[in-house]
Amino acid sequence: MNEQPSFLKSVIKKVILGVILGAIFVGITKALHFPTIFQAMFFVYAMLGTAVFILLDAPALPMLNGIKSLAALLAFYLVLSGVYIGGASLWPQYDPEDEKGKIAKLLEAKRRASEQGKAEELLVRAKALSEKADSIMKRLQTLGGPTEAAPTGGAAKPGGVSATASGDLVTLGKEQWELQECYNCHKLEGKGGKKRGPEMDNIGNLMKAEEMKEKILDPRSWMAEGFEKEYEKKKMPDKYKELMEDKDVDALVAFMATLKNPAVNTPKPIKKK
Amino acid sequence: MKTWQRSLLMLFGLLAMFGATAYAQVPNAPTVEFPYTGNRTAVWIVAQLHILFAAFILGAPIFVVISEWLGYRKQDPRYDRLAKEVIKVTVILYSMTALTGGLFIFVLLATYPQFTTWLINHFFLIFAVIYPLLFIGETIVLYLYFYTWESWKGDKKARHIALGVLLNIIGTVTLFVIDGPTSFMNTPAKAEGASIVEFIQAATLWDKVFNYSWLPLNLHRLVGNVTFGGFITGLIAAYMYMGAKNDSERAYYDWMGFVGNLIGVGALLFLPFMGYLLSYELCDYDASICPYMMADQLSMFFEMQGAMVGLIFLASNYYIWLSMKRIEGVERVRISVLTVLVMIALPFVMTYTWTIFPVPDPKSLAVLVPLVLAPVILGKIVPPLGRLTVSSRVCIKVAFLMVVIGNAIWMTPHGFVATGAKLVEELELPSDWSFLALMPAKNSAAFTLVFVTVVNYILYNRAIKQGTIVWGKIDFASQFVLIFLAFSAIWTMGLMGAVRSLVRKYFHTYNLYPDFTAESFTPTLAYSAWWITGITLVFYIVVSFAILLTLRVSESKAHAPEGSPVPAGAK
Repeated sequence: MNEQPSFLKSVIKKVILGVILGAIFVGITKALHFPTIFQAMFFVYAMLGTAVFILLDAPALPMLNGIKSLAALLAFYLVLSGVYIGGASLWPQYDPEDEKGKIAKLLEAKRRASEQGKAEELLVRAKALSEKADSIMKRLQTLGGPTEAAPTGGAAKPGGVSATASGDLVTLGKEQWELQECYNCHKLEGKGGKKRGPEMDNIGNLMKAEEMKEKILDPRSWMAEGFEKEYEKKKMPDKYKELMEDKDVDALVAFMATLKNPAVNTPKPIKKK
Repeated sequence: MKTWQRSLLMLFGLLAMFGATAYAQVPNAPTVEFPYTGNRTAVWIVAQLHILFAAFILGAPIFVVISEWLGYRKQDPRYDRLAKEVIKVTVILYSMTALTGGLFIFVLLATYPQFTTWLINHFFLIFAVIYPLLFIGETIVLYLYFYTWESWKGDKKARHIALGVLLNIIGTVTLFVIDGPTSFMNTPAKAEGASIVEFIQAATLWDKVFNYSWLPLNLHRLVGNVTFGGFITGLIAAYMYMGAKNDSERAYYDWMGFVGNLIGVGALLFLPFMGYLLSYELCDYDASICPYMMADQLSMFFEMQGAMVGLIFLASNYYIWLSMKRIEGVERVRISVLTVLVMIALPFVMTYTWTIFPVPDPKSLAVLVPLVLAPVILGKIVPPLGRLTVSSRVCIKVAFLMVVIGNAIWMTPHGFVATGAKLVEELELPSDWSFLALMPAKNSAAFTLVFVTVVNYILYNRAIKQGTIVWGKIDFASQFVLIFLAFSAIWTMGLMGAVRSLVRKYFHTYNLYPDFTAESFTPTLAYSAWWITGITLVFYIVVSFAILLTLRVSESKAHAPEGSPVPAGAK
C-alpha cells in the first residue's frame, strides 16, 4: 500500500469532497423537510467520513521514545478525556429539575408509609405545633393576658380545604397522566408515544370510569382492538395497583373520562377477563 | 507488591465483607453525607471502580488459559509469555478488586444503611457464605495458578492448564452469584396478578436470583469482561512496545497487541447482541423501562453509546488497516466483489426486513442468512461471479464507509431532545423517516458493524497466509489505537453501567424499595460524563502502575530474564 505522494494535497482534496458531499446531504434533507438540526447532523456525518478517509491515508507516525512518548501519551489521555466530556455535553441534556418535583409527588404516599417518613412527619407536626404555640403566646402577651401556654387542641382551626383537596379531580388526573408518564406509550392531543399503546383522545366515549380503573389496575382485563401483539407481550405494566394510591387512580380515571374527541380513532376496548 | 502485601489487601476485603454483613444487622444505623460528590455519586465511584477491576480479573483468565493452551499446542513460546504477563497484572489487580469491593460495601452501608441491610437480609446466604467462600477459593486457585507456572512445565503443563480452567469456572460462578442481587435490583422477581411486595416476602433465594435480567446480565458481563480483558492486554502491549529497547521486544509486543486486539474485537462482535438481549428482557419485565431508556430521560445516554460503539469499531478496523500495511505482498490479496456488494446492501436490506419481521421472530433470519452467505453460495453456483474480485485496499475502504454509515444510522435520534415530553416538530425526524430511529434500523446498523469487521479479519487472515508479516514494524500510531480502544471500552462500560443503574429510576430496587433521598433523580449526561471520565482515569492510573510495576520493573532487574518460558515439549 503506497503512501500518497503528498498528504497535504490529499487532505485538501478529501476535505473539499467531504464538504461537497455534506452540502449535498443538507440539500437533500432540506428538500425532504428534515428539521435544520438533522440537516446539520448529516453534514457532521459527512465530515466524520472525511476524517476517517484522511486518517486512512495518513503517513506513518515516527517512533517516539522516552519522555517524548510519555508526553504524547499524557496529551492523548487529556485529549480523549476532553473529547468525551465535551461530546457528551453537546447532546441535549435532561433537566433533573423536571423530575425532582415529580419524584417527590410520586413517592409522597410511600414516604409517609415508611418508618423514615413517619418520623419526618412527626417532626414536621411537632415543629408546626411549637410555632403555633409561640404565636399564641405572643398574641396573649400583646393583649396583656396570661402568659401560660393555652392548650392548642381546642384553638386549632379546622384545616382549610385546599384547591387540590376540594376535588379538582380532573386537574389532579391530568397531573397523574404526566407523573406516571402515560404519554410515553399513549398519544394524546397529537403528543406522546406512538406505537406501544392506543391513542386516548376518545377513550371517554368508549369506556366507563370503572372499566378504565379496572384496566389500569389489571392490564390483562381489557385489550385495545388492533393491539393484540402488545396485549400478548404484556406491554402495559402490571404495577399501577402498587405504585398508585386509590385516589390517584380515581383522579386519572376522572381525567380520562373527559377525553371525548370522536375525531380521533381511539381503538375499541375489548373485555378480556 | 509482595505476596504478603497482596494477601493483606485481600484479607482487608474479606474482613470488610464480613464486617459489613454484621454491621447490616445493627438496627437504625445512622446515615453519613459525603461532601462535594453527595452519597449517590460516592457509591457510583467506588462501585464502578470495583466493577472495572473485577471485570478484568474475571475476563483476563479466560483468554490467559486459552493462550497458555495455544502455546502448549503450537509450541509457540509467545503465547505462554503473553499468558504469564497478563496473569502477573491480574494478580496485582486482584488485590485492588478486593480492596475496592470492601470499600464499596463500607460506603454503601454508611450512605444507605436501611436499604443495604434490607438487601443483605434478602441475600444473606450469598453475602455471608457463598460469595466469601467462592472468593477464598478463587484466591487460592489464582495464587496456585500463578506460582506453579514455572514449576508445572513440561509434563505437568496439562495439570497447570486444568488449574487455569478451574480458576475460570470459579470466577464465572462468582460472577453469576453476585449478578443475582445486582439483577434483582433491576428486575425483582414477580408473579402475574400477585403483589410484588408479598411475592418477594415469600420468595426463595433462587426465585430472587433467577429473575428476568439475571441470565442476560450474566452473558453480557461474561462477554464484556473478555472484551475488556482483550483491550487491556492491548494496552499492556502498547505500553511495553513504547518502552521496548530492542527489535525483538518490539516484535513480541507488536504481536501481543495484535492478539489482545483480536480477543477484544472477537468478543466485541457479540456484545451488541448481548446488550440487546439484556435491554429486551428489561423491557419485557416492564415496558415503561423501554421509553425511559430509549425515548426519555436516558435517550441521550444511548446516543453517546452509539457514538462510542461506532468509534470502537472504527478504531479496531483502523488497527487492522495499519496491521495490513506492514504485510509484504498484501497487494495480491483480493476478495469477491459480491462480498463488497453484500456489505453495502446489508444495512438497507436488513432495516426493511426487520421492520416486517421484527427480531426475535425466526423469520427475521430468513433474509439475513442467505444474504450473508450469498458471496460464498453465488460464487460457487455462478463461477464467473466468484471470479470478480476487488483488492483488499478497496474492500477495506468500502468497509470503513459502511462503518460510518452504520454508525450514522445507529446515532440518528428520533428527536434532538432529552425527554419525549419536550419533543416538538422542529426537533423531530419527519414521520416518513422515523424508521431510522427504530430498533430494526439500529439492529441492522449493529449487524453491519459486526459484518464488515469480520470481513476485514478474513482479509487480514488471507494477507498473513499469502504475504509475510513483519512484526515490530507496525506504524507507531497503532499503539495509540490500542490505548484508545482500551480507554474507550472502559468509558463505554462506565456509561452503560450508569444506564443499568439508572433504569431503576427513583428506586433502589425497582418498584419495590424507593429511594427517598434527594438524589434519586436522573443526572444529566454531561454530569455523568465527568464522573465516568474521572473513574476511567483513576482506573487507568492504577492499571498503568500495575503494568509498570509487574512488567517494566521486573524486566529491568539484574537477574536472569524470566521472559523465556519454554512450553511443554519444547527442547
